[in-house]
Amino acid sequence: MYVILVYDVSEKRVAKMLKLCRRYLNWIQNSVLEGELTQSGLRAMESEIKELIDPSTDSVIMFKSRDSRWLEKRIWGIEKGLTDVFL
Amino acid sequence: MKKSYYLFNPGKLSRKDSTLKFTPVDADGVVGNSRYLPIEGIKNLYVFGSLDANSALYNFLGRHHVPVHFFDYHEHYSGSFMPKEFLLAGKMQVAQTEYYLSDTRRLTLARLILLGAAHNMRKNLCYYQNRGKDLGDLIESFDRYQAEIVAMLAPDRSGSLVAALMGLEGNLRQTYYQAFDRIMPNSGFEFTTRSRRPPQNELNALISFGNMMAYTASLDQIYHTQLNPTISFLHEPGARRYSLALDLAEIFKPLLVDRLIFKLVNKRQIQAQDFDRSLRGFLLKEKARKVFVQEWDQRLRETIKHRVLNKQVSYGYLIRLECYKLAKHCLEIERYQPFKAWW
Repeated sequence: MYVILVYDVSEKRVAKMLKLCRRYLNWIQNSVLEGELTQSGLRAMESEIKELIDPSTDSVIMFKSRDSRWLEKRIWGIEKGLTDVFL
Repeated sequence: MKKSYYLFNPGKLSRKDSTLKFTPVDADGVVGNSRYLPIEGIKNLYVFGSLDANSALYNFLGRHHVPVHFFDYHEHYSGSFMPKEFLLAGKMQVAQTEYYLSDTRRLTLARLILLGAAHNMRKNLCYYQNRGKDLGDLIESFDRYQAEIVAMLAPDRSGSLVAALMGLEGNLRQTYYQAFDRIMPNSGFEFTTRSRRPPQNELNALISFGNMMAYTASLDQIYHTQLNPTISFLHEPGARRYSLALDLAEIFKPLLVDRLIFKLVNKRQIQAQDFDRSLRGFLLKEKARKVFVQEWDQRLRETIKHRVLNKQVSYGYLIRLECYKLAKHCLEIERYQPFKAWW
């Protein structure tokens, strides 16, 4: 499962949210992460996010795709975060 | 599916916010932008460059069952950080040992493993035969060897039989390697003879590098099963090495390593200038190593439709399935049938 996650949460929780998401996904831009997840990984992350956020003020959006190959990614300007596995 | 990460550049890996942080630091001590690696998506780490890390990191990696494989400057496999075994099963261990101890039982398994390897090597030859390389004579001698392996099940002649089997394996490989020059003509590479520690020409360096990747890939898969990686059947279990990984690698080397080498050389993705001729043998330069590992990673993730399971299975996972089959054989649930490429 390939996932793009975007969040807009209260300032108090921004850092916590970032830390949480970085354990599962690759950071690519402020408040945007993407990456490959298993079904169980996805569920684990979802439940952690639900624990953290306040549904009355925060907003988290997830785009799911079966595979990254069904996704065309275009970048203008600088590429802030990389997702490849060669460091 | 979890991913392997390959660390080529020198840097510092640390635990940060319950995940991994990699900070590249070059030879002059210039610190680059750090990158966070999602711990939940990491299968294992391959370290080719120099790496700074501390025990807190390894504790963390151990808890998440992430093995780290290290390779030295000369691209030799130097060892792994293996997290504590987490799938302990005394019953499995005992059964596996029993199979090793009984000569006839061990021979059955060893023979099957070698038959699988032979079949896959022959498949490679046939593939290139169909593409107009003249390999008919080698395929014929392969058939002879295979018949010999099948005939090796005489219960009264136990003992040295496994050693004889390993001898056969040597002959098999020698015949097989004769094909290399014919499969890759005018490539600028010559096989001549197999040499290791250190490899004496470019092709040997490629083979050594590939075999090492196959060995670590097998080791990774064994770790996720209840098998003990030190008790093997075809190879003699020795000290200080995971010989079961050698057994498994034997089956998959033709499919994963050799085919990759043929492709890289024939498509000229790796050429003679990609090697360093040091005092002792040949080694791959950084760029070529990256090309190889990139292609290798892709190949392991490539999927095929499995005939029995009736679903898409990656090459990497095929190795795991092989472990399960071995385990089932030892526990006498199902007779082991080696993996044979059917395409």
